Amino acid sequence: MMTATRNQTKVTTPAERQIRIERVFDAPRDRVWRAFTDPEQVAQWWGGDRGRLVIERMEVARGGHWRYVEHMPNGTSEGFEGRYRDVAPPERMVRTFEWDGMPGHVMVETMTLEDLGDGRTRLVTTTLFHTNEERDGMIQSGMEQGVNQSYAALDALLAREA
Amino acid sequence: MVQYHAGLDSAFAAVSDPTRRGILHRLGRSDATITELASAFDMTLTGIKKHVQVLEDAKLVTTRKEGRVRYCRVGPRRLDEEAKWIMTYQAMLEARLDRLGTFLERTKGERP
Repeated sequence: MMTATRNQTKVTTPAERQIRIERVFDAPRDRVWRAFTDPEQVAQWWGGDRGRLVIERMEVARGGHWRYVEHMPNGTSEGFEGRYRDVAPPERMVRTFEWDGMPGHVMVETMTLEDLGDGRTRLVTTTLFHTNEERDGMIQSGMEQGVNQSYAALDALLAREA
Repeated sequence: MVQYHAGLDSAFAAVSDPTRRGILHRLGRSDATITELASAFDMTLTGIKKHVQVLEDAKLVTTRKEGRVRYCRVGPRRLDEEAKWIMTYQAMLEARLDRLGTFLERTKGERP
């Protein structure tokens, strides 16, 4: 395991293809949650210092789509997007993250906010990266499972009909 | 599958800097001298040498000297696009959390 501390951020790589970042903010949990879920607030900090961030979509709910585009002074832009998989205010959010520059390389970000009880909040983000092969494998195995379940249901139906 | 684990820390430190990522990108096209890199990145020779040294320590760049000219090339360690992206992502995320910290500090008491 690798552990590195840069600024006040603690970074660990507990497993290959997984990055865990932990950080304590001197702000109550509700405020930190809103900073992540209120588009007007996200626009003020999420993007880099050079660009202007446009929140094109932000549907903070399970299955909702988000897309942020950073417009650089030189006229170029970079887009980031994904879908929310789980939203449990004010403590947990899971969403996929994809950069336009690396299409198909989807990562899954899990963010948890812990109320430290003294006006501070511990944020932990865990990001899981998948290779194309792994993702294709997962989709395939998921489909197999789905197909098997369908067959089982069909078997049961046929057994009743008989 | 590529092992991101071994030596990830030095490689990460190396590519967490945009100039060094730019150098790797440039060397990906062809070898270059320190002087060429300095002019490409509009930096002093000393400045670019420091960056090249970090990349060399991480085994991402090899240099050789011919007379008074130092040539740089990528390797022996090579990062594929995905590994580079993972490291860039991590650097971006950390920078983003820094900005969030600043934002929360700046807007303290201003918002409910």
